[in-house]
Amino acid sequence: MSTLTQTDGFVSVTRSAPGHVYDEAYDREGKPRAAWGKFLESLKQVSNSELTHRSEQAELQLLENGVTFNVFQEGEQLQRPWRLDLLPVIVGADEWSSVTDGLRQRARLLDLVVRDCYHERRMIREGVLPPEVLFANPGFIRAFVGLNSQGPAITSYAAELARGANGEWRVMADRAEAPAGAAFALENRIVASRTLPGVLHDKHVERLAPFFLEVQNSLKRLAGRQTENPRIVLLSPGAAYPYYFEDVYLARYLGYTLVEGADLAVRDDRVFLKTLAGLLPIDVIVSRGVERWLDPLELGGSEPHGVPGLLRVIREGKVKVANRPGSGLIESPIFMAFLPQLCRQLLGEEMLLSSIPTWWCGDGEHFDYVKEHLKELVIKPAFQASGNDEIIGMRLGAAGKQELLERIASAPHQYVAQELIARSAVPVYHDGRVKTGHMAVRTFAVATENDYSVMPGGLVRVAATADPMVLSISAGEGSKDLWVLAKEEVQPVSLLAAEGTPVPLRRTSAVFPSRVADDLFWFGQSLDRADFLCRLLRAVIDRLSTESANEVTELPSLIRALADQGQIEPAFAIDAFSPQMPNFTDELPRMISNPDETRGLVAAISELHRLASLERLWMSPDTFRQVRATAAVFLSSAENGWTSIVDVSEAVNHLILELAAISGLVHDGMVRGPAWRVLDFGRRVERARDTISLLKSTFSEQQNIARPVLKALLEVIDCRMTYRSRYLDNLQQNAVLDLCITDETCPRSIAFQIAMLVEHVDALPSETASLLRSEEKRAVMAASHLVRMISAEQLEERPAEEVANTLVNLDVHLKSLSEIVTRKYLLHSGVPRQITSELELTQ
Amino acid sequence: MKYRIVHETRYSSAEPISVGHNEAWLTPRTTGTQRCLDHHLEIEPTPSMFSSRVDYFGNLMSQFVFNQGYHTMSVKSVSEVELSPAPDLDETGPAWEEVRESVLAHQTSEDLEAYEYCFESPRCRLTPEFGEYCRESFPPGRPIVEGLRDLMERFFEDFENDPNATNVSTPVDQVFRQRRGVCQDFAHMMISMVRSWGLAARYVSGYLRTYPPPGKPRLVGADASHAWLSVYCGPLGWVDLDPTNNLLPNLEHVTIGWGRDYGDVAPVKGVYIGGSSPRLSVSVDMAVVEE
Repeated sequence: MSTLTQTDGFVSVTRSAPGHVYDEAYDREGKPRAAWGKFLESLKQVSNSELTHRSEQAELQLLENGVTFNVFQEGEQLQRPWRLDLLPVIVGADEWSSVTDGLRQRARLLDLVVRDCYHERRMIREGVLPPEVLFANPGFIRAFVGLNSQGPAITSYAAELARGANGEWRVMADRAEAPAGAAFALENRIVASRTLPGVLHDKHVERLAPFFLEVQNSLKRLAGRQTENPRIVLLSPGAAYPYYFEDVYLARYLGYTLVEGADLAVRDDRVFLKTLAGLLPIDVIVSRGVERWLDPLELGGSEPHGVPGLLRVIREGKVKVANRPGSGLIESPIFMAFLPQLCRQLLGEEMLLSSIPTWWCGDGEHFDYVKEHLKELVIKPAFQASGNDEIIGMRLGAAGKQELLERIASAPHQYVAQELIARSAVPVYHDGRVKTGHMAVRTFAVATENDYSVMPGGLVRVAATADPMVLSISAGEGSKDLWVLAKEEVQPVSLLAAEGTPVPLRRTSAVFPSRVADDLFWFGQSLDRADFLCRLLRAVIDRLSTESANEVTELPSLIRALADQGQIEPAFAIDAFSPQMPNFTDELPRMISNPDETRGLVAAISELHRLASLERLWMSPDTFRQVRATAAVFLSSAENGWTSIVDVSEAVNHLILELAAISGLVHDGMVRGPAWRVLDFGRRVERARDTISLLKSTFSEQQNIARPVLKALLEVIDCRMTYRSRYLDNLQQNAVLDLCITDETCPRSIAFQIAMLVEHVDALPSETASLLRSEEKRAVMAASHLVRMISAEQLEERPAEEVANTLVNLDVHLKSLSEIVTRKYLLHSGVPRQITSELELTQ
Repeated sequence: MKYRIVHETRYSSAEPISVGHNEAWLTPRTTGTQRCLDHHLEIEPTPSMFSSRVDYFGNLMSQFVFNQGYHTMSVKSVSEVELSPAPDLDETGPAWEEVRESVLAHQTSEDLEAYEYCFESPRCRLTPEFGEYCRESFPPGRPIVEGLRDLMERFFEDFENDPNATNVSTPVDQVFRQRRGVCQDFAHMMISMVRSWGLAARYVSGYLRTYPPPGKPRLVGADASHAWLSVYCGPLGWVDLDPTNNLLPNLEHVTIGWGRDYGDVAPVKGVYIGGSSPRLSVSVDMAVVEE
């Protein structure tokens, strides 16, 4: 094992107690292993302070790139940052080449096993596999039988490796349902090469990019020859799932559209992507979720990556899904007990890379062995992808052992036993010290024309002990890069186009899914809603804070506006509220911080943050960062509770500036394409409708609008300066209403919002075939017409009854515009729900 | 014996449903004692897509999709079926242990096929308690059919028919505790028992001929779909048992299809997007065409 010695402040790794584990870096004599020699020598030139500094840099970069795991704890969603240890694990060229041969053979074999189990079942009929691998296995899904037998079932494969005491590599688990981790390996490599001190760089390390080229080729091949440019999408279970980061990363790196189930629809015999511009046919789906939820129609469930009717389209061969549904079957550890025989039968070869020795208790002889050797074994469920529910025989007392054996005996086919492995040791640099960690390596392979290609590298995870490790890639204390040494210097390859490659000019992104449009629309709405509520609240709080709040004549109107907006309880909006004033002032902080008030400020900010997290691909990193920071500060301050309106005032004043920063980033940073348009559409509708609602709350039936109310109006719509520059302090109803409603040059006026909406509606994709105006065009034109027909005289009327009526009508048109657009362009979708007929009893 | 069966399923929703995908298991299967002479589906509105295929268990099923939006969907399944009398069973046939062992060893393709029905399925559980219930009916060496008859007899005594006790998703454990349910629960319950005892049992979906009360005319549409089970008896093949009525089906049970449990052969199921919770109504009419 390796321990820390800090000599002269330089990093030094040496071998210490040899013991029962294999040391990756040093041999038994304490000499560096050949692959590690050069690196360990160079490491001596790196000071502790530098490596610590570089480690911090790496951590920061990972954080900024958003590499996180979503970890659910007690129903709450926490994002745990990804940790990377800069010291790599190094494997020599020859050794890796035999690992590669073993992995390729294993992937070929498992592919044949999946295809046989879901097609001819020759292995079961010939007695090589026991029928329990299917019949007793909840992972065997009958709807996948005979889906389609062409091409590989397993396009992408991952194997979890460990190295035992004698230095031999063993496969601990196979992954083929939707193997995760390749993008984490890539991200580790990128961050490590940026931050590793220069002396440690080695030009003989195999690069990872060529592997991802193979992935692209493999998926393209899957589409078949008839499609020149297949449309490939990456189907993600969504932002609530632990590997969402990787979904986003892979989609971006490989150049595929990231979709969720609701983005796809089956029409006739094809799968389509719903976009703002219409339906696009899809050729290949890269599934990143659980296969049993892929088709809610045939398989049940209503998970975010389900597409009703998908299996039928696969059956008809009109779409390919990678990995083919059914591939997850071989993740059941029971297969490990039969792989050597299967390899002989199906490939006519001996296994090159052994699994961890595995016994299936459903076989009498195997079970006898397990009873005898329980101390050296780990017991796990036979039909669950390994990694959970493991019982280590060694740790059981006599009673525990007896209980376990009885449990197995009651359903022996449900259990397998595996040998306990002591994982090899690697040096880990953590908190400024070199410690010993024990590693698990996830390796990756992808189907080529007739074989598989293995990533020259992998994802290393380390744990503090050599015990069995939870096999999910989020487990363990940290991760490492795996270096595979090449015999010669490696030429750089990248999936990103080489610098200087000419590209055809484009003004739009290729595909804009409706779901994204929908989210951005609501993002725009929430942004403007939050801003408006802040300004209204500020106006109220400023007035409540004066000594004679009871005499502030405009307060009733403003409080009514707050109630009309749904931010406070309506009871407070009655005109004769003055006796309740102290009560209201005390209650206000609670009402504003209430997250259950769905039309309130806290809800708007939470929604803003949620939508930004979902669609961060579509906004600049700075915008996302700004939203995240703004929400974090405001929501935590609201959650901690405000004790007085002074606290609220502070939080709201701060929030106004932060929201302005978000608006600024959106305004200056977003290309004027469809994404910006739907976002801005949402903002404009919200702003116009909020202003209408504010005006309606302040209009009273008999009189003209009082001067203090006019002043407050200007304040809330943020036009005080404009007004003063035009009219000085002479507050008149017509001039104020002009700024609020009819002045198309004022960016806060209703007319301005409607002018923008007219532009946005014109830019929406439309059926050109129709000669008549579409319904959304008619709605926006009606609104535009109404606001333009307001006359100067109407603004002067006291009371401004005509204007009030116009505002009511305007709101109706805006509401229906918003509904038409969401129905037609945004929400084609919804959650699929299940129905079943119920049997009635025959009497 | 010839029957004409009209089975109509109707869903209606107050809000329009925008898209609906459906699957139906409504086509009577042809078996040793049953011939499906004619079958067709009348679907309203006209589906945007319709296709049929043979499922994993050999049943003919249909899929149909509506893309155009609708408030009400109805599926009318019209079948004409001819039944022949069930062959005489050799009730002295093999002892239950013999069958259990040969299925466990699954050396023949019949035994291997039956073995699939020995395990848990989503609606049928295996527990020592369920197995224990069977013990009394299966003393050593008893012919399997005799044992099954006895088990069904006891079951019929112990379990009470009660349409209000359960719904479509009541688990068998609960049915076992409360000893109440409807035909579907009884089929699942007895399947769970038989499988827990180590034998192979499958779920059968179909129809049962009903008789009007004495002196009353037969009411059209008052029938219902029915469910029972079938147990593998080695050389005797699969033997159907109707625990709801404590009898071995003969000339009055029309089989649609079978699977591990209800979930594999639900008459109509589907997913829909949009709309409000649909209301379901079902009517079945089973008329004798030829005695």
